[in-house]
Amino acid sequence: MIRFKNVTKTYPPDVIGLRNVNLHIRPGEFVSIVGQSGTGKTTFCKLLIAEERPTRGQITIGGWDISDIRQSEIPVLRRQIGVVFQDFKLLPKKTARENIAFALEVCGVSHRDIRTVVPQALKIVGLSSKADRYPRQMSGGEQQRVVIARSLVHRPKIIVADEPTGNLDSLNTREIIDLLKRINRFGTTVVLVTHNRDVVNELNRRVVTIDRGLVVSDQEEGKYVL
Amino acid sequence: MIISGIRIIKFAFQDFFRNFWLSLATVSVLTLTLLTVNGLIAVNFLGKMAISEAEDRVDVGIHFRPEIGEERIQTVKITLMGMPEVRDVEYVSPAESLRRFSEQYGDDALVIESLGEVDGNPFGSTLVVRARSIGDYEKIIKTLDDPAFAEIIEERDFDDRQEIIGRIETISRRIEAFGLGASAAIAIVTFLIVLNTIRVSIYTHREEIRIMRLVGASNGFIRGPFYVQAVAWSVLAVALTAAVTVPTVFFVQPYLERFFGSTSVDLVGFYRVNLLEIFGVQLLAVMAMSIITTKMATARYLRT
Repeated sequence: MIRFKNVTKTYPPDVIGLRNVNLHIRPGEFVSIVGQSGTGKTTFCKLLIAEERPTRGQITIGGWDISDIRQSEIPVLRRQIGVVFQDFKLLPKKTARENIAFALEVCGVSHRDIRTVVPQALKIVGLSSKADRYPRQMSGGEQQRVVIARSLVHRPKIIVADEPTGNLDSLNTREIIDLLKRINRFGTTVVLVTHNRDVVNELNRRVVTIDRGLVVSDQEEGKYVL
Repeated sequence: MIISGIRIIKFAFQDFFRNFWLSLATVSVLTLTLLTVNGLIAVNFLGKMAISEAEDRVDVGIHFRPEIGEERIQTVKITLMGMPEVRDVEYVSPAESLRRFSEQYGDDALVIESLGEVDGNPFGSTLVVRARSIGDYEKIIKTLDDPAFAEIIEERDFDDRQEIIGRIETISRRIEAFGLGASAAIAIVTFLIVLNTIRVSIYTHREEIRIMRLVGASNGFIRGPFYVQAVAWSVLAVALTAAVTVPTVFFVQPYLERFFGSTSVDLVGFYRVNLLEIFGVQLLAVMAMSIITTKMATARYLRT
């Protein structure tokens, strides 16, 4: 599904984001990418959604080499990858329903399809009853669930969650991780970037540890080792 | 495609009204630029009309000796008419010359008294020659210097308005140069204002743009509303310019007629005939400028 082959990313003048990373994530896997701040986790996410290009090496997603992806192909890639960030990135003047619909509107989806898909996404994240609330009227966990719902509307094959629980308390954290596990059970590959030890240890899934840009450990059913 | 197009237009108008004062400032600056251009067009037209009016009043009067018969004068007339530089030649008989002279100086008792002392009609025949352009008179005068003509011509007067024409031309050229300079300066300011308006607009919508990118909106969709806004500004600016220019032209027309002493200086007619061309070209030019500016701003600030 996702393959990193000798991927190196450096930022001028000589800051290393990732160093010679080799990684293969199979379809339907739930992988946690862990590491301390500034070790290259976010660079990994940015490379996956083509927000950055690798300096060296090759990245393929479903056989598609995105190492040197054309500008016009990036939207096509991003519709296949749902992205969830720590800061919720919701539009404050739109309700939960409108925020989710926005992701479809800007991609040219018809009103009829939007009316069908948005309630489904809200139902998956358990927010059907709060569809008309604005972000300020929702808790952090609920806002993050709206973001997850938004990332699901294109029925992506991959969900990339970069510190999705970073701003949440333990109860909301558990809810979000449960939601991601549920999405993973439907067959979606989940790449969770986190430095939350409890989350990783409780998940008991594959753990890839990055330190100073290098993959230092890759364990099936791993634990947070740093 | 159609759905995206409609949404691009919707987003563009939402942006327009969300940043209403900024949009208004941009449209005002574009309108001011176009008004300057229209002022330049009007001045250019009036300058040309003034030159043409002055040129129309230039002629060469050829006065023949009284003993020269009409037949020979008609030969000269035919010769002159054969020249490509000559627009028309008018024959004025001695009787007509006398009538015109009396009409012109009828109030001057001394001149009329002097005329009475002369036996008969002192005037000979006259040919009044008008050239196609002011530069053609030189050749006509040279032709008249030919001994075959010189011996039958008593006198010739060239009502030389070249100096006045030269002065009008100089003033027109200066006004045109100043107008071009002013238009270029305003165009640069306009360019910078449009560029910054779009930058501010991009900044205002940075979160929306970021989300659009994340969820897979195409670059065309993200940039589209900015282009639609640029076109909307251009259309509004040209419409406002037309709304100011056309009534102004109607308002100044009577003053122009009085100033030039002629109804042939028809600025209203000029705008009526060329209305679509004038404002069409302005619309295309402003749109092209706005679109190029938008392209620059979005290319710089909307990199994926």
